Amino acid sequence: MSEARIQAGDLDESTRAALQRLILTLADTKRLMGLRYSDWVLGAPSIETGIAASSMSQDEWGHARLLYAMLKGFGVTPSVIEHERPAAAYASMDPLDGAFPDWAAVVAGMVVVDGAATTALEAFSRGRFAPAASRVPKMLAEEEFHASLGAAWYRRLAGAPEAVERLRAATEVMLPATLAWVGASDAAAAALADGGLTAAGPEILAAYRDRVRKLVAMAGVDVDAVAPAATWDPARGRGPGAPEEEVVERARGDRNRALLVE
Amino acid sequence: MDETTYDVFARKNRGDVLYHIGYVNAFDDDMAKVYAWKTYDEESWFEMCVVPRPAIIPVNRNQGPFAKSRGAAS
Repeated sequence: MSEARIQAGDLDESTRAALQRLILTLADTKRLMGLRYSDWVLGAPSIETGIAASSMSQDEWGHARLLYAMLKGFGVTPSVIEHERPAAAYASMDPLDGAFPDWAAVVAGMVVVDGAATTALEAFSRGRFAPAASRVPKMLAEEEFHASLGAAWYRRLAGAPEAVERLRAATEVMLPATLAWVGASDAAAAALADGGLTAAGPEILAAYRDRVRKLVAMAGVDVDAVAPAATWDPARGRGPGAPEEEVVERARGDRNRALLVE
Repeated sequence: MDETTYDVFARKNRGDVLYHIGYVNAFDDDMAKVYAWKTYDEESWFEMCVVPRPAIIPVNRNQGPFAKSRGAAS
């Protein structure tokens, strides 16, 4: 990719819209990932794991805040994006639409979903968009701990007869939509790759398969044999569904929004 | 496989001695590293290490207060 860094204002209208979609789907994914981790602060297998889930939740929300802030350059008011959108407008990755039902699903989410977001961010940070080049590397450094914990737990559950089936099932449920998201190759994704703002979908998808291949194989999943989901919403850069209303209410902070004094 | 206790050591600045700041229980080294980093994150540590407690070799367990307390118990 080119070394010349650019801002949103340097882009033509269609490429700017494509970049806005990418940033929003990354930000929404981080926001919901944080909520899904927070669900397990109490209820994780050990107090240490609960503390790690709490910390990872904070990391994800911090990343989301930084990504939402990037949208200022697009004429968007981040507070409106963060607090006033309906669930149907959220662009988070599909596997985060519903709660993780058990710890095996949380672990699969760390590897499959959080790993996909990290792969996408790695490509984004190497692109020409100046705010991504300056802000994303710190996110990636923090994500190394998420990846390490996810891998350690994945190995452990994959070796436990009572857990491996749940792990495999959760991984198989999450992978198709995740592959479609991380390897997006529609017109908007192509515009971003052509503009040097991130890598091409097939390249990111290949990097992602490399990232998870050995781990998910431990649960009996062949990532190369899983096809990306066929359904796609090009307006949001994700599948056609939407997060549960309950989690979006939490993401927006609806319950006590009236008490926020700004 | 049971969890192992890992002792956590850290120093704030280059040149400081490593202090024992706590412990975590973990199934393996990778988990222990994350648990330690996430649990004892109130400081901006220059360096943090974890040591599985079984790897610690006692030096004076047969002497001094250890021996006296054993004697008192017997």
